Amino acid sequence: MKNLFWGLSILLLASPSLFAETLTDVNQIIQKSNLASYYAGDDGRTQARMIIVDSQGNKQMRQFTILRKDKADLGDQEMLVFFSRPSDVNGTVFRVTKKVNSDDDRWLYLPALDLVKRISAGDKRTSFVGAHFFYEDVSGRNPAEDNFTLISSDNGLYTIKAIPKDLTTVEFSWYKAEIDTKTFIPMKVTYFNEKDEAIRQMQVLDTQVIDGYTTVMHSKIIDLTNDSFTEMQFRGVQYNLGIEDNIFSERSLRTPPKQWLR
Amino acid sequence: MNYTKILNFALNQPKVIYSFVLLLTLASLVMMPNLTIDTDPENMLSSDNAARLFHNQTKQDFNMHDMIVVGAISKKSIFTPDNLAALKTLSDQITNIDGVISKDVLSLSEVDNITQEVSGGIRFEYLMKQAPQTQAASSALQLAIKRLPMLDNTLVSGDGKAIAIYVPLTKKELSYTVAELIRSYTNELTIDLDFHITGLPIAEDQFGYEMFVQMGVAAPLAGLAIFILLWYFFRNFALILAPMIVAMATVIIIMGTLIGMGFTVHIMSSMIAIFLMPIAVVDSVHILSEFAEKYKPGANAKEVVKKVMKHLYTPMLFTSITSAVGFYSLLLTPIPPVKIFGAFIGSGILLAFILTVVFLPVYLSRLSDKNLNKLQLAIARMEQKGRLSSSLEKIGVFASTKTKFILIAAIAIFALSALGVSKIVINDNPINWFKADHEIRVADKALNAHFAGTYDIWLVFKETDNSHISATKEFLINFQGLKSKGLEAKALETYLASKENQEQLFSQELLILLDDLTFSADPSFEQELAELYKLAETSHNQNKLFIQPDMLNWLAQLQLAINNTDFVGKTNGLVDIVKTVNRELHSGEAKDFSIPTSPEGVAQTLLQYQSSHRPDDLWHFVSKDYQQSLLWLQMTSGDNQHTTKVVNWVKNYIDEHPAPVALDIDWAGKSYLNIVWQDAMVNGMLSSLMSSFVIVFLIMVVLFRSFKYGILAMLPLTFTITMIYGLIGWVGKAYDMPIAVLSALTLGLSIDFAIHFLQRARELEKETGSLKTALTAMFQEPSRAISRNAIVIAVGFTPLLLSPLVPYITVGFFLASIMALSALVTLVLLPSLMMTLSGEKLEAN
Repeated sequence: MKNLFWGLSILLLASPSLFAETLTDVNQIIQKSNLASYYAGDDGRTQARMIIVDSQGNKQMRQFTILRKDKADLGDQEMLVFFSRPSDVNGTVFRVTKKVNSDDDRWLYLPALDLVKRISAGDKRTSFVGAHFFYEDVSGRNPAEDNFTLISSDNGLYTIKAIPKDLTTVEFSWYKAEIDTKTFIPMKVTYFNEKDEAIRQMQVLDTQVIDGYTTVMHSKIIDLTNDSFTEMQFRGVQYNLGIEDNIFSERSLRTPPKQWLR
Repeated sequence: MNYTKILNFALNQPKVIYSFVLLLTLASLVMMPNLTIDTDPENMLSSDNAARLFHNQTKQDFNMHDMIVVGAISKKSIFTPDNLAALKTLSDQITNIDGVISKDVLSLSEVDNITQEVSGGIRFEYLMKQAPQTQAASSALQLAIKRLPMLDNTLVSGDGKAIAIYVPLTKKELSYTVAELIRSYTNELTIDLDFHITGLPIAEDQFGYEMFVQMGVAAPLAGLAIFILLWYFFRNFALILAPMIVAMATVIIIMGTLIGMGFTVHIMSSMIAIFLMPIAVVDSVHILSEFAEKYKPGANAKEVVKKVMKHLYTPMLFTSITSAVGFYSLLLTPIPPVKIFGAFIGSGILLAFILTVVFLPVYLSRLSDKNLNKLQLAIARMEQKGRLSSSLEKIGVFASTKTKFILIAAIAIFALSALGVSKIVINDNPINWFKADHEIRVADKALNAHFAGTYDIWLVFKETDNSHISATKEFLINFQGLKSKGLEAKALETYLASKENQEQLFSQELLILLDDLTFSADPSFEQELAELYKLAETSHNQNKLFIQPDMLNWLAQLQLAINNTDFVGKTNGLVDIVKTVNRELHSGEAKDFSIPTSPEGVAQTLLQYQSSHRPDDLWHFVSKDYQQSLLWLQMTSGDNQHTTKVVNWVKNYIDEHPAPVALDIDWAGKSYLNIVWQDAMVNGMLSSLMSSFVIVFLIMVVLFRSFKYGILAMLPLTFTITMIYGLIGWVGKAYDMPIAVLSALTLGLSIDFAIHFLQRARELEKETGSLKTALTAMFQEPSRAISRNAIVIAVGFTPLLLSPLVPYITVGFFLASIMALSALVTLVLLPSLMMTLSGEKLEAN
């Protein structure tokens, strides 16, 4: 309850006129949206299930638990992703230190190969374990990478057009985000190619208020070029658990912190 | 005979006949705009053909597409900043073309690279998101590709002089348009690179485009050639208009019907017009000649026509029926386009016959006296001794005196030809449908000289038995038990109901439903549902055959063995992915280029591979349930012979080195389909040739009411066909689609000469009482008629020689020579045989 109060008061403090009028500063909207999407609480835990469906309806499933801890709101974050299913990848772990001002640090643990490996990637728009979600969709795209324009604010949605500053690091030309004016959750994000054809879309299918934070419980990314998609569902979402800093260390890769994964 | 009644009616009601023909022709013309071209060799197999169904299932299961290959060749190393920048530009343009599946384009700027970091980390990134700026960076790129077995020799040639872009298409029918667009892009590039485009889809689609052009050029040319020939014979426009009308009406009505009935115009049916035109004219030439001979100035044209028709009706009926039978016999082949071709030409011949015997008499009876006299003059001129007449007379003398020599020579040639037939090599390759200097042929040669091969076949593996009977039973019993305890599981029940025979019960879908159930069900079921999940998961995992190390090691051995043969350029498979990623996860050195030792190790390696820009590349080589795997073989030749060799080699290898688990092994890919339909074609043609031989023989026996004459009639064409095919065998020309089709239909056409010859010779023998006198007479007007007809048909086919497409040239050349040869054989062999046979008779008397 304390956290609920805190969350509400932060929101109210940050935008005293939230319920009275709509915002006009696009960067302010983006900042609030980034906060609502990726920084709810000081830390958090969730179980996730992805169902990857190809254009012929073949399905694959991935299940994992995410632990997250923020160093500061809108700042750096620690993250651990523990895979449980399919059972042949059980025990696979990703560790990420998300850095706002430099490249993220990423590590990988593969239990069957007994291997801890540091990963570096040329960009963040690689697939997250074969899903339609990119690494960047899971960790959050840095707002500093795009230029934003507010197109409209009606029907309870801010419609924002974003153009990447560096087109060579992305596979799209621009995207359109439709952000809920009340919760600041992006409900739909559509990516366009240089011919202005929609090629990819993220949709939020369900949200719940958990511990006072509006939380996405079910989302979907569709590849509009072939109608394949991945659905991501969350369960057991909890915030502000007080996860210790030392949990986010290499030790947790080989020896998962069981108490936080139950 | 009813024909007399029909003829009388026609002669009395000319306008009815004219308007009927006109209406029919107009109605058929209306259908023409619906014409659709079909050049897909896949359609050589019926839509329910097992190999074709499997091919398409494989394409769907493994997301394989029809690909065209664009190659750039440099004289020196292609790895320079300028070249790479040009290729990056081209690749970007190609991915933007409508109809190109941009996600699956294989080019340096689209694929990923996995490398080692100095720090010991692993790095995933685009191989060439931007073209390198420096020579050093360009050379580094070349080295990077050498480390990626999936790309080496596929995207970059072994000699480092060529780079390819593989362009997958949503529909193979787009190949030509896409290729033209790519050609326009490469033409704009100001760079010293040779660009080539190849691949079976482009060959097939371009063939379709050129076929269309060809049809528009060759068919009118054939018409023109016949027109000129008729003009040479008759020198009167009003006269030759009649056979031209018959020919045009026949072609238009038949093509209109074909299109109207919804058939596509395939490579075979595109030749219908050219086949029908000369055949349709032949009977008219007979009628015109006879009419002119019998017509005297001042006579009643109607009465003369009646007499002529009475005389000619039966032989014309029979020659038409035998020709039609030759084509109808193609219905016995299992190949749809060949069936359509046979059916429509067969019907066209009968239609031409009907038009000839109804329309032509009406037309003749209504000619002005002036034109009728001209006709007579023309015929008189033709009957004068010319070169043709004197040489025919010489042939006649030769044939009826040097009988022994002719017969011995014939037997010798026949034996030699039979030996040649046994040497025939069965082979085809759609690329060879173009002439050697065609850009497609040039590209094919150039690219296959540099790369591992632009011809694909796919080897698909699947476990023979992956049912889990006991586990399935246990699962169902346990589930029923939970239901009886009140478990609500609607979705799961629907799933189970959909799996009627419960053969593939344990799937990812089932696991997802069970997982859903653990959340929706009453918490009291938690433990039991977890057990049920475990049972399903264990069985599901056991089915994941292609993450089992022993299976992958077997596949690796197979790939190695195939790569070591000299007829497969390269293989690409799941093993290459697993080994490459495993190497980079570990040291990055060659010692770690291996398969992990546990299935979990493989699964985790593949999970890493999927964390790339192109996770779906994995699914070209393994199905999502890991129960099927695909091996892509790149061959440098699309010859059916070559493919057959590869298929047989692999079969032998697998027989000798069986997989650790019993596997179903099957082939797909365009090159494989080509050998499937080729087999069907060869066997089909043989049976159609045999059956039309028997039917035509029976018709001959009926026509001549004599077994002996039946056999005599069959001899010239048997001799001719054997000789032509013997020649093909000796020369080494491959027995391909056009050659195969020729056999059955030449039988129906070349019998005509024997029919006319024997019929007239017998009549003359009866009239004169002496075979020798009869034969001498035969080499006057009758042999000239036969020669003229042979010339008409042969010349009618010659415009095909002008075609840019090889199959048409082949057909034109062989048909023309078969016609000429069988006329000659008829004129030489039949008199000798008749003399020899009757000589015995005289001695006996």
